[in-house]
Amino acid sequence: MKANRIWSWIFLALGILYFALPLIGTLEFSLKLRRGAYSLDAYWVVLGDPRFQQTFLYSVMMALATIVVGVLLVVPTAYWVRLKLPGWRPFMEFITLLPLVIPPIVIVFGYIRLYNTSSWLPLTGSAMGTNILLMFGYVVLALPYMYRAVDTGLRAIDVATLTEAAQSLGAGWVTILSRVILPNVAVAVLSGAFLTFAIVIGEFVMAALLSRPAFGPYMQLLGANRAYEPAALAVIAFAITWGCMALIQVVSRFAPKTPEQPH
Amino acid sequence: MADPFLSIRHVEKSFGTTRVVQDFNLDVEAGEFVSFLGPSGCGKTTVLRMVAGFEEPSSGNIVVAGKDITRLRPNQRNIGMVFQAYALFPNLTVAQNIGFGLKVAGASRADIDRRVTEMLALISLPQMADRYPYQLSGGQQQRVALARALAPKPKLLLLDEPLSALDAKVRVSLREEIRTIQKELGITTVFVTHDQEEALSISDRIAVMYGGKAEQVGTPFEIYNRPATKFVANFVGTLNVLEGTVADAAAGTVVVDRQQLSLKGKLDGSRPGEALSLALRPEAVALGRRADSDASLSGRIADVHFLGSVIRIRIGIGDRIVSLDMFNNSSAPPPAVGEPAEISFSSKDVLVLH
Ligand SMILES: Nc1ncnc2c1ncn2[C@@H]1O[C@H](COP(=O)(O)OP(=O)(O)O)[C@@H](O)[C@H]1O
Ligand SMILES: [Mg+2]
Repeated sequence: MKANRIWSWIFLALGILYFALPLIGTLEFSLKLRRGAYSLDAYWVVLGDPRFQQTFLYSVMMALATIVVGVLLVVPTAYWVRLKLPGWRPFMEFITLLPLVIPPIVIVFGYIRLYNTSSWLPLTGSAMGTNILLMFGYVVLALPYMYRAVDTGLRAIDVATLTEAAQSLGAGWVTILSRVILPNVAVAVLSGAFLTFAIVIGEFVMAALLSRPAFGPYMQLLGANRAYEPAALAVIAFAITWGCMALIQVVSRFAPKTPEQPH
Repeated sequence: MADPFLSIRHVEKSFGTTRVVQDFNLDVEAGEFVSFLGPSGCGKTTVLRMVAGFEEPSSGNIVVAGKDITRLRPNQRNIGMVFQAYALFPNLTVAQNIGFGLKVAGASRADIDRRVTEMLALISLPQMADRYPYQLSGGQQQRVALARALAPKPKLLLLDEPLSALDAKVRVSLREEIRTIQKELGITTVFVTHDQEEALSISDRIAVMYGGKAEQVGTPFEIYNRPATKFVANFVGTLNVLEGTVADAAAGTVVVDRQQLSLKGKLDGSRPGEALSLALRPEAVALGRRADSDASLSGRIADVHFLGSVIRIRIGIGDRIVSLDMFNNSSAPPPAVGEPAEISFSSKDVLVLH
C-alpha cells in the first residue's frame, strides 16, 4: 500500500518534469536575448513586430468567425439529432470525429482541388474567398471538440420536455433555440469556443497551404530565421492557450444549475 | 345542450404497426375538470399529447371551441401544459419562467410584470419571483410550472401526471390546490393520472382508459358505484370478487362456495350453470348478520390489519378472500384469525360482472 503511493508520486513527478522541463527551458532561453542577463527583450521584439500584430489579429478574427459559424452549425444540429434523430447519434459521432483522423493536409488539398479558380465555385480566386474557405476548414478542425462540448451540454438538460414546454407556450424553433437551448448550453458552447480559439491561433497547415497571413505560418517563419524570438513566441502561444483553458474553468462556474429531476 | 368545449372524435394513433389509441371519443364541457385514469401504458399520455399537438392522430379529429385544431402546430394552439418532470427553464428565474409565454406573444413589459405578480399570488409563492428553479422544492417547481402554463390565459389546461414525482403529503395538498385554482379560473382541464384516489377526489368526470380505449366516462360517483366493465370495477377502488354459478336466473339464485345467495333481478339473461363474478366494495360488506342486509355468506377470518381508526378484516370464503373495513371500537376487540365468521351485505350492492 505504502510502496504503491510512493510509486504514484514518482510517476506524477516524472510526468510533470516531462511536461514542464521543455517549457522551463524555452522560457529560460527566451529571456536570454541580452548577453549575460535575463531580459524581456525577445518579447519586446516579437510584440513590436508589425507582422506579429497583423497575423495575430488576422487569426483572432478568423477564430471569432470560426466560433460563430461553428456554433450556428453545431448547436442546431446537435439539438435536432438529440430531439428527433437519436438513432443517428453514433453516425454523428463518427462524422464529427473524422477531422481527427483525416490529416488537415488532405482536407486542404481536397479544398484546393474542389474550389480552385477553374472550379464551379472558385473560392481560392480571391482573398475573401480563400478566407472563407480557411474559416470553413477551421470549423471542420474544431468540429470534434465543438460537437462533443455541445452534446455534453445538451445531455445535462431534458431537451425534449423543455422543447415541448416552450412550444406549448407559443414558442417557435428560433425562439426555442435562442432562448431555451442556447442559454442552457452556453457554458458548453463557451468551452467549445475557447478550444476552437486555441486551435485556430496555432493552426499552420491549412493557413500555409492556402497562403493566408495567419499566426501559425508567422510562428514558423520566425522560427526558421531567428533564435530567441521563437522561444518567446512559443511562450506567448502557450500563455494564450492556457488562458483559454483557464477561461473554460471560470465560465463553467456560471452554468445555469439544473434543478433536481424527478425520477 | 351547448356544444362541448373540447371534443375528441374517433381519434386513433399508431406507432409503426402498434395501435396505442383506438377510437377514442370524449366531449369536455367548458370549465370542466376531466381526468384520464388508467394503468401505465394504456395511452393516456398519447391522447393528451395529441390534444397538445405533440403527436398527430393517425385518424380522427380534435375540436376546441368549435375550431378543428387537429393539424395545428403545438405553438399555435394556446393550450397550457404541465409535465410530470416540471420542465422549468433552468436558466430563467421563477418570474421569467412564468412570463415566458407572454414574452413570446409580445406582451409589454408592464403587462408581463402585472400578470406574473398575479400568478405568483395565485400559487401562493409571491416571494419566490427571483429564485431559480434549482432553488425550489419539487412541489414549488410544479406550482411555478402551473403558473407558467396558466399565465398566457390558455383555452385549455393539460396536466400529465403532474404529481407523480412528489412525495405523498405534497401530492395531496397540491392536488387540492390545482383543483381550487382550476375552479377559480374556470379553465377547462384534462388531468392524466394512474392514481385512482387522485382522479376520484378532484375530477368532475373521469375517463377510465385501458388498452388505448376509454372503457367508461362518468362522474367519480358513477365510475366507483356503477363500473361499466370488469376492468373499471377492478381498477377503481378495492373490490372483492367471488366466483359463483347461476342456479336459477329467474329467482336470482347463485351458488357461491356451496352456499346459496339470492340476487333478485340481477341475473336477467343468465343461463343456469353459467359462471359469474360477483363483486363487492369493502364498505358494502359488514361483519356478522345485520338487519338491513338481505344476503350473507359464512367463512373464516383469514387476516386482521389494524390501521388505526379503521380495521381491515380479510375473510376466507372458499378459496376467495373478502376484505371489509370496520371502524375501530375501543370496547370491542377485533375478531381473532381462524375464527368462523359471517358476512352480510345488501344484494343491490353486488356488481355482477359477466
Ligand atoms: N413515440 C412512441 N413511439 C412508439 N411507441 C410509443 C411512443 N409513445 C408511446 N408509445 C407506446 O404507446 C403506449 C401508450 O403510451 P402512453 O400514452 O405513454 O401511456 P400512458 O401515458 O398511459 O402510460 C405504450 O405502449 C408506449 O410504449
Ligand atoms: Mg404517461
